[in-house]
Amino acid sequence: MVDPSGFEAFWFCAYTPLEILDAAGFTPRRLLGDKDGLEEADSYLHPAFCPYVRACLVEGLKNPTAHAAIFVNACDGMRRLHDAWKRLCGSDFIHLLDFPRRNDIHGLRTFQQSLSLLIDELEKFTGKRITLEDLRNAVNLRKEVRRHFHDLSQGSPGSERLKLAQKAQQLDPEEFLKLRAEKPWQAEGIPLVITGNLLNPSGLVALVEEHGVLLVGSDLCNGERPFMVEGEATGDTREELISSLAEQYLRRRHCARMSDAKRRHNQLLHLIREREARGVIYASLKFCDSYIYDYPLAEKFLGNEGIPLLRLESDYQDGHAGQLSTRIEAFVEMLRG
Amino acid sequence: MELLESLKDRFLDRLSPGLMRSALLWQSAEGLVRSPLNRPGWKADNVSLLYFLRYSRLAFQQKKPVIWASLLFPSELIHAGGLIPFYPEMAAAVISRLGLASRFLEKAAEEGLSSDACSFHRVIWGSYSEGFMPEPQLIATVNYLCDSAPLSFLRVSVLDNIPCRILEVPFEENEESIINLASQIEELAILLAKLSGKRWEDYLKDLRETLVLSNRAREHLLEVENMRRNFPYLLDGKDALGHLSVLASMFGHPSAIEFYKKLAKEMKERANEGGCTLSQGKPYRHILWMHLKPYYSDSIFTYLKEHGARVVCEEYNRCYWEEMDPSRPFISLAQKLASHFGIGPSEKRTNNILRLVKDHRIDGAIHFNHWGCRQSTGSTLQIKQALKEEGIPFLSLEGECIDEREYQEGQIRTRLEAFLESL
Ligand code: SF4
Ligand code: SF4
Repeated sequence: MVDPSGFEAFWFCAYTPLEILDAAGFTPRRLLGDKDGLEEADSYLHPAFCPYVRACLVEGLKNPTAHAAIFVNACDGMRRLHDAWKRLCGSDFIHLLDFPRRNDIHGLRTFQQSLSLLIDELEKFTGKRITLEDLRNAVNLRKEVRRHFHDLSQGSPGSERLKLAQKAQQLDPEEFLKLRAEKPWQAEGIPLVITGNLLNPSGLVALVEEHGVLLVGSDLCNGERPFMVEGEATGDTREELISSLAEQYLRRRHCARMSDAKRRHNQLLHLIREREARGVIYASLKFCDSYIYDYPLAEKFLGNEGIPLLRLESDYQDGHAGQLSTRIEAFVEMLRG
Repeated sequence: MELLESLKDRFLDRLSPGLMRSALLWQSAEGLVRSPLNRPGWKADNVSLLYFLRYSRLAFQQKKPVIWASLLFPSELIHAGGLIPFYPEMAAAVISRLGLASRFLEKAAEEGLSSDACSFHRVIWGSYSEGFMPEPQLIATVNYLCDSAPLSFLRVSVLDNIPCRILEVPFEENEESIINLASQIEELAILLAKLSGKRWEDYLKDLRETLVLSNRAREHLLEVENMRRNFPYLLDGKDALGHLSVLASMFGHPSAIEFYKKLAKEMKERANEGGCTLSQGKPYRHILWMHLKPYYSDSIFTYLKEHGARVVCEEYNRCYWEEMDPSRPFISLAQKLASHFGIGPSEKRTNNILRLVKDHRIDGAIHFNHWGCRQSTGSTLQIKQALKEEGIPFLSLEGECIDEREYQEGQIRTRLEAFLESL
């Protein structure tokens, strides 16, 4: 049995149910990976693999401290990261949760089962039962974190919003809630929404902004997406609360791994209109099949709506991102028209 | 291959979506298969060829509802409804075999699909867009082996409004997760029964019957596997890998029984005649092949054979499931699906490989790293390590299953040469 207080629980995918890790007494922290050491992953994972996954493995290999690691069965990349981590990174507690692609009754049942399984395993590990009270507190705490994120990010440009989102994902929630707004933002530029998987705030995102773009929305899994949650998880019993939490995760604004492409594209369109953006940057890390297959569909959908779109790809390090300058420039010029 | 050559000669220049729907193409092809001039490598090949020609004709002519299914989707469910199963990934392999892939790969690129995607699916996009795939009434996918099918098939579903369903196999196999999967399968069965126009009771009765047929085909498949263990050089890996389409789509149909029965019988006959056992007086080296092969060229296999090695076992082309209980069709199909070695952690895959190594007295193992196939390349290093511990040389061979333009003959030869030396 392990005392979880002060024990970090590393997580990777934005669908990780943080409330449960909080309730079990862990300090959840999202890993963003060691971007600079990417090549070191070559000995363990194929180079044509999601660079976020590869960067996380490198970070894991360098981390000798006691930790728990929670994976979500979201994609081939995450599955293989889990397998490699298990062999190579010496976690005290390691778990992979199934997360459905469908958000119907079967999907809900699958995710409820996954949450219960995770809770059982955590309880076995810590020797402490997770009570209704623990879960309620955690649900409220995460609600506070989301609210605070929205307050602080008001009016901030995209790269700042990304950095803030990353802080919310990496800091102890209590620490994050202590952060205060830095200054009122006076950002200017052509308003665009950026959509994709997970991007390097000081790489491609910063580069886009350097070209006179104001990113008014960041539909990214290390951006605003995980904070745009509708409804609340409620319940009078532990079981009710768990199943309501499962439902809330399935109702979220989704990423491209989910099957409901139409709903996702409509939500994106809504965000573009709501924020009065003049176009979209569709940017994603290389080798992410979810976004590779989604792009042509999104392009067609947004094209039919008359929304201009620029496709960019990132290797996460973004050392050569400068090469994209000409294309970004041309796009911005076109919008300035 | 000769048969394919004569088909190409006759039809290639005139190939159009209209021709695919015409009875002429399919009847001529069936005629060629039946002609005494056609001498297949194995008599059983005619059984599968005739089956595929017939079902392709029915699919293109839309004689009954067409169900697009991804590789692991249980064909028994479709056959029970008397519906037309169509496995686009297998069709992509045939397109590559016929040397037609590049046109469709270009079309997919035009549509914005990145060349980092698996070329099986790029060919599916391109050929569907150009009207060379039969239109489905329902799309049925599984969340394994890889992410590609559930994502790629969305194109047809989203742009052409075709209903798409996914079976989500849980990562861990336990009682609860099997029940969950069984209920997803039952839900799909209800949909298939509706499409077939059968009453639910009749569909269920027929489903039980297809499970009986599937079990019988499995028995004969096991016989074939047994023969290969005892007479490793009878059936070469390049031919055996072609049987994957039978494994994926024919179970539950009487033709699968006929196919494996004929194959086992002919193997026995050839074994009795002495078969081929030696290479210049020495036994061949036994090679295990992992993942799929290049469909447009057999040169790797020819090279191996010329250099004293034969692929005697293929990871994908195996019976991985237990006999099913026809009185519990949904639970049985759930168990069949969940027992696949590619579903779950890499350890499951690795353990299966280690078993094959022992079973087939393997001397060396080749993993074909098909570009863009994350699920398989994601576990090669773990497999390499496990094989190293057993003292089995391992070759991780970068390549392309579908796109001939990416074939690096020279590079592949150099790597094979070094590998064979290490044996
Ligand atoms: S970016 Fe894509 S491939 Fe990478 S972990 Fe996320 S979903 Fe998976
Ligand atoms: S080759 Fe790999 S990526 Fe392509 S369809 Fe097959 S399993 Fe999926």
